[in-house]
Amino acid sequence: MAEQEKIQRLPAEQMFQKEIQALMAAERDHIPTGWKMSPKSVLTYITGGTVGGTVITPKYVGNRRLVEIAISTLVTDRALLLIGDPGTAKSWLSEHLAAAINGDSTKVVQGTAGTTEEHIRYSWNYAMLIAKGPSQDAMLKSPVYRAMETGSIARIEEISRCASEVQDALISILSEKRLSVPELAMEVPAQKGFSIIATANTRDKGVNDMSAALKRRFNIVVLPAPADMATEMEIVKTRVAQLSEGFDLNAALPEEDVVEKVVTIFRELRGETTLDGKQKVKAPSGVLSTAEAISLLANSMALAGSFGSGVITDEDLAAGLQGAVVKDEEKDGLAWKEYLDAVMKKRGSRWLPLYKACKELNP
Amino acid sequence: MRQPVLFGVRHLSPGAAWQLRRKLDEVKPELILVEGPSDLSDAMISICHPKAKPPLAMMAYTKESPVQSILYPFSVYSPEYQAILWAKEHACPCRFMDLPAGVFLSLQRRRQVEPDRERTTTDSVYNRLAELSGDEDHDTFWERRFEHWTAEDGYEQAVSEFGRQLRGCTMGVNLEDAETVIREAYMKRQIESAIQSGIAPERIVCVCGAYHVEGLESMEPMTEEEVRALPSVNCSSTLMPYSYYRLSTRAGYGAGNKAPAYFELLWRAMEEGNLEAATYWYLTRIANFQRQYGNMTSSAEVIEGVRLAKSLAMLRNDTVPCLQDLRDAAITCMGHGQFSEIALAAADTEIGSTIGELPEGISRTSIQDDFYRQLSQLRLEAFKSDIAKPLDLDLREKLGVQSERAAFMDLYRSMFLHRLRILRIDFAQVGQNRQERATWAETWTLRWTPEAEIQIVEAALLGDTIASAASFALRERAEASASISQATEIVRDAFLCGMPETVAYALGILQGLAIDEAAVDEMARAAEQLSILIRYGDLRRLDPSPLQPLVSQLFVRSCLTLPSACNCDAAAANSLTDAMERLNTVALHHEFLEEDRWISVLLDISDRDDLNTKCSGFAAAILLERGKIGEELLSREMARRLSRGIPADLGAGWFEGLAKKNRLSLIARLSLWRQLSEYLDTLDEGEFRRALVFLRRAFADFSPKEKNDVAENLGEIWGISPLEVADAVMRESTQEEKDLLEGLRDFDFDDI
Repeated sequence: MAEQEKIQRLPAEQMFQKEIQALMAAERDHIPTGWKMSPKSVLTYITGGTVGGTVITPKYVGNRRLVEIAISTLVTDRALLLIGDPGTAKSWLSEHLAAAINGDSTKVVQGTAGTTEEHIRYSWNYAMLIAKGPSQDAMLKSPVYRAMETGSIARIEEISRCASEVQDALISILSEKRLSVPELAMEVPAQKGFSIIATANTRDKGVNDMSAALKRRFNIVVLPAPADMATEMEIVKTRVAQLSEGFDLNAALPEEDVVEKVVTIFRELRGETTLDGKQKVKAPSGVLSTAEAISLLANSMALAGSFGSGVITDEDLAAGLQGAVVKDEEKDGLAWKEYLDAVMKKRGSRWLPLYKACKELNP
Repeated sequence: MRQPVLFGVRHLSPGAAWQLRRKLDEVKPELILVEGPSDLSDAMISICHPKAKPPLAMMAYTKESPVQSILYPFSVYSPEYQAILWAKEHACPCRFMDLPAGVFLSLQRRRQVEPDRERTTTDSVYNRLAELSGDEDHDTFWERRFEHWTAEDGYEQAVSEFGRQLRGCTMGVNLEDAETVIREAYMKRQIESAIQSGIAPERIVCVCGAYHVEGLESMEPMTEEEVRALPSVNCSSTLMPYSYYRLSTRAGYGAGNKAPAYFELLWRAMEEGNLEAATYWYLTRIANFQRQYGNMTSSAEVIEGVRLAKSLAMLRNDTVPCLQDLRDAAITCMGHGQFSEIALAAADTEIGSTIGELPEGISRTSIQDDFYRQLSQLRLEAFKSDIAKPLDLDLREKLGVQSERAAFMDLYRSMFLHRLRILRIDFAQVGQNRQERATWAETWTLRWTPEAEIQIVEAALLGDTIASAASFALRERAEASASISQATEIVRDAFLCGMPETVAYALGILQGLAIDEAAVDEMARAAEQLSILIRYGDLRRLDPSPLQPLVSQLFVRSCLTLPSACNCDAAAANSLTDAMERLNTVALHHEFLEEDRWISVLLDISDRDDLNTKCSGFAAAILLERGKIGEELLSREMARRLSRGIPADLGAGWFEGLAKKNRLSLIARLSLWRQLSEYLDTLDEGEFRRALVFLRRAFADFSPKEKNDVAENLGEIWGISPLEVADAVMRESTQEEKDLLEGLRDFDFDDI
């Protein structure tokens, strides 16, 4: 097995290396400083197309206009903030943007409650610091630092989970475009092409709300849940296929019918109404995002591949649905049961086996 | 061969208007022909009047009802409007060249019979075009291609080619196309006749939709014979102010556009020779609006917006951002990614609340003139705005003002607005009064819209002034009314409009209907309505005396029919008690009615045993209230009605009627409750249950407080202290009691 194939998940720029190379080879438009390709090629990379005989797979299906806005933001060297419900492909989009623009999506700071200012700026190799005193060599540069030096894009995931002092550290970087290192009495100016793509979760509102000062330094793009059934099914099918390739799941890809059922259930529970809009549905507490639907199907495939016939059965699906929908035993359980009896049961014979399988888990 | 200049445009397009003006400057034509009804050319003088401000619309309408109308809206950035203006500025003759309005209206009438599919087909071409070019929609497609075209040349050819191709895709599919052919042949005839009159062809500029360019090139002109064969209807025309809001809804000829205010910005920017200015204006206007409404928006955000919009345009190989780019930039930089945050600002900047203006006396119908004259006389001009505003009226005479007019200003306003209401002109909506029965106060909501203007023009068929039209409409409706309630409504409306002759006319009709009327509740209702008018008539400074005989007549007839009407079932009893209540109010208010007659009718109903007992009970209640029944008589009646042997439902029904009125005084009469208690004591188990069910119904609409008082009364009779009563009422029912109550549910009502 080649070295690369052992890696669980390759960064985007390696996974889609061929496409990036094709786009760069066919480049005809003006390339902004620090970028690897023109904004239009980035758009093609994200939304798909054909370049010089190479098919570019669409990475973000749905609202093309939002991608245009995101790319244009980065052209104007503004920082970009992607906001949306969990599982609306924020990180996914941010990774691919960085991959296409710089050929490097790995300068990432993961925002957590434990993220400190050092993760944004720099820290020290303390052994060397004590032995030799402050020097460039003793410095551990953060991804943001490295991005400034090289004039590329740094990504900050889940920025709203960082404490506010950490967020504040970004303000000066984004407005002055330079980072001061008082210990070495120097300043690092950002090279052209430096920018930041941050993502934030709408469900985390209030955890560490972003200050107005910081928000003002970002252009904000809100990523919606997929607008229609067809788009969402397309996303789910593509991603499940990609995942199963990566994970050797040993199971057949879910059939159209199965994807449709899962997406229908997710959309109905998320939208709190049936697809025809005729019936209200109680929403469970969890987020039923497209990403969850994808992982549910991948899980079911794993179940089927490892313990079953290799084809997803209604029982596998029911188990997956149970886990995805019922996050809080009491409340979600009720909502789920209500959905089963009020909506799914009445859907006729095509849905009957799935209904029975679900019902078995929820007597 | 020398050809006239056929300049293809899109209606309501700033880019086309700008290019057209340059073309006119270059050609310096001797004649300009504009697509528009050829019989309305006279309106051009008014359109160019220095005091007339677009948006305006020409309106042609049929002279017979149902009124059909056709609208030709112009905004400042309409190529047609600019062509007319250019002609005036350069003293160049200018005419409309399309079919006369009467022919259009006639064709429109025919088309209504056969549904029109034309829009869907061009729309499908538009949609496919936008899809292929990767634009969001056709408007964006068009704006990116044609609205930003400030290059010296090429525009004319490009637009004509666009029209030609579009024609190739859609022509020959629909009935509408036949109309197009007729129109083009007619226009061609106009062009030919202009050439024959001796004007050099190359000095004629024809302004027409891009779609028609090819047709005008290739079509044979219409012959004299064909012109005579055109169907036509009799019609008139007028000019009216128009609004950007209405333009944005895409109504009328030549459709409209979604963002008139933005297009005006674009037009002004082009006129200044700096197309990019529109970008700055748009974003600063949004920012200004946001600040005005308390949303912090910094200049930095506007700057970022401009940069983002430009780089969005760049992605499409465009140098100037289009509306879609601007709006997305505003959403991203000022709206924090949410359209909802800037939705109001966007509506203000893109659509706006601009309405047009026409100076007084300019080719309007007389009813329009009357409307505006009244508007200024009644000082309502501030309400000529596209934004709804409330107006509170106090109809009472104002003391301490000089003129009579000022003293009754609000009254005159009210009459005016009521007349508009009668004419179904949606300029004013009457609102709920805050204070109930405050007949001196009225609340209105006023909003001028082009629709209202159209309705005014349509009302021109009814009369030359608002007053005469309203009077005509009311008379017409009065003649058509079939029931006295309808006729009463019209009397009331005429009264509110302050039109005594119409009141008299409608009264005559009402009287005629009343003679044949037999339903007591209808008569009572009419009598009550008229009685209100008599009582408050002086507020509207109208003489109420003509109403009196009719009220008397209705009252007497009601008195005569009421007793026999009371012989009815339970369902009808409710409407009868309502009627009795109404008649009682009427009788109380007017001295000219014979009170004795009313009392004797009530006594009769109260005494008789063969009528619905609820009605009898209610008659007794009225008598009791008016002090016509003494304590003794009441207790005797009570004993008679509630005695063992009389079916419980009848007794309880009577009690229900009695308890519908003056409850407090009933509750205060302890003797009455003692009698009730004694009656209950006489019943055996089965009878008691039966009585309980009906009495419960009788008490159903008592308030909790009243029920409590009744309970205390009974408690006193049974020797229980109020505290114990409260305890008994408040505590949870025991299981046994619950079972008993449950048992009542199974009560058999079948014999009722």
